[in-house]
Amino acid sequence: MIQLRNICLHLPEFSLTDICLEVHSHNFFALIGPTGSGKSLLLEGIMGIMPFTSGSLIFEGSDITRVPVENRQLALVYQDFALFPHLDVTQNILYGTRYHHISKQEARHRFDYLIAALGLEKILRRYPYNLSGGEKQRVALARSLILNPKLLLLDEPLSALDPVFHDEARSLLKKVHKDLKMTIIMVSHNFEEVLYLANRGAIIRDGKIMQQGRIQTLFEKPDSRFTARFVGMKNIAAFEPHGDVLKIAGTDLDIVAETLPAPDHHHLGIRPENILFHPPDTPPVCKNHFTGKIKDIALYGVFTRVHMDVQGVLFEAVWPRNLVNEFCLEIGKTAAFKFHSASVHTF
Amino acid sequence: MKQMDRMGWLFLGLGLPLILLLTLPLINMTTQPSLSMLKETILDRDVAAAIARSILLSLAAAGLAFVMGTPLAYLLARKDLKGKKLLEGIIDLPIMIPHPVIGIAILSLAGRNHPIGRFLSEAGIQIMGTKTGIVCVLLFVGLPFYINTVKSGFDSVPVRLENASRTLGAGALATFARITFPLTWRHMILGIIMCTARSISEFGAIVIVAYHPMTAPVMIYERFTAFGLKYSQPIAVWLIFISFVLFVILRMLSRSIHTDR
Repeated sequence: MIQLRNICLHLPEFSLTDICLEVHSHNFFALIGPTGSGKSLLLEGIMGIMPFTSGSLIFEGSDITRVPVENRQLALVYQDFALFPHLDVTQNILYGTRYHHISKQEARHRFDYLIAALGLEKILRRYPYNLSGGEKQRVALARSLILNPKLLLLDEPLSALDPVFHDEARSLLKKVHKDLKMTIIMVSHNFEEVLYLANRGAIIRDGKIMQQGRIQTLFEKPDSRFTARFVGMKNIAAFEPHGDVLKIAGTDLDIVAETLPAPDHHHLGIRPENILFHPPDTPPVCKNHFTGKIKDIALYGVFTRVHMDVQGVLFEAVWPRNLVNEFCLEIGKTAAFKFHSASVHTF
Repeated sequence: MKQMDRMGWLFLGLGLPLILLLTLPLINMTTQPSLSMLKETILDRDVAAAIARSILLSLAAAGLAFVMGTPLAYLLARKDLKGKKLLEGIIDLPIMIPHPVIGIAILSLAGRNHPIGRFLSEAGIQIMGTKTGIVCVLLFVGLPFYINTVKSGFDSVPVRLENASRTLGAGALATFARITFPLTWRHMILGIIMCTARSISEFGAIVIVAYHPMTAPVMIYERFTAFGLKYSQPIAVWLIFISFVLFVILRMLSRSIHTDR
């Protein structure tokens, strides 16, 4: 287990402030945040490249806050993979073995296993400039994994890849985590890839942790407007409680939630995929049933994002493209929609 | 290759006088001496020794620049030192100072009237009129060329690669040896070429610190003032020719190692 206790890191133009995190063994932990939020800096701090100004870093019971980078027994895979351009693939992979007291026989054994597992057999004599993005990622992973690190740090490992390699690389990371039962901390700004890979995570903004916990909880129950927006929750509005219903501020729209909101909750949010199309000429079956005027329809592949105006409040729904075509939904027309009370989240 | 358009021809026309300014005097000088005169000159032991001295002492100065200048260039490229800009300015000073001034400055420091001069003298190190003095001067004038070239080499290596090496367990020195040096040694060769080239051509500072033992530029000057143009030209031709061959060999060495990789 790795613990970050009240970590601060002050740079002239940016600071990490009072970071407290716990990552348990064998977890796939995601540090999520927008560009410039400090997540990569935190990763470099854990690795020891950027020394923390205060606080302590406890790894498996030992304080490693002041341990030099090379003695931490951690490994970091960079966003652009940072392969050594003057070394071929084999030399890159074996680079660190001499510093970890790994015998030649053991190094060869691990090398053979990794090149087979990661499919690197055909590119062993090639240099980094001659590798595709996906191949670079696999070499960088092999270079770190051969050292059998206790903790693997990944800095946006998928963001530098073409869409062609993206899915393949994502599956590879999942496989590595599953097969090697390794603890992984990954930095990402893409919530979709985090949902696929990680089981726990933390959302970071301006050098501060906003929320941490199970990934599914972050996704479904964000505790602030920032987190809600970041995890893709739309339809966010301020509300005032009126008996059993939540009245959207400044309107007559009553929303029914499954449970009453906590006293300090003043906003509600509904994920756009939870807003369901209600076919015309069928009776309402749900308390949260509305009809709105379509203001915009944006195509996203096989899906469309439909924006509807109800008493000046804009609702966004994600509906299949063929549904939009079937019911001839167009800008200016009206559409009925509904959502379950369980889909209403307050914060 | 792109074809020349009107602007290209205009720019070539403007640049042509410069090309002529650089090439005509050299072509004229190298074609003036007869082959028999060139042969006679190189067989003159004093001339051969002066040319060899110029080249060897310049290489020695470049060697010292390599040993001591490389760490300094690394620090300037990688670390946020206090007074870094001032230090960079000091390193560039020899490019701006008139070279006789450099000679006078070194001489005044190494003289018996200065504590450093007295210390050196007691330690058995003579600057005035010695090869040590010449190397000192050549290092002074050549160092900015070495440091600036090598520093730009270090700047071109992403710090991330060095960090990646550290994360894999290599210490700072091992990282320098296995990552930074292999990625910058060509800049070091180029720095050595630049430093040697600048040193071979040095005259103004040497003539003050050490007229003897005579280097090739001092001998060219001496022959010119004592015997005239005709007797100084062949030495100049040999100096240019030998330096040219030396630099071509260094360049080829650098390129062939690069290709082997």
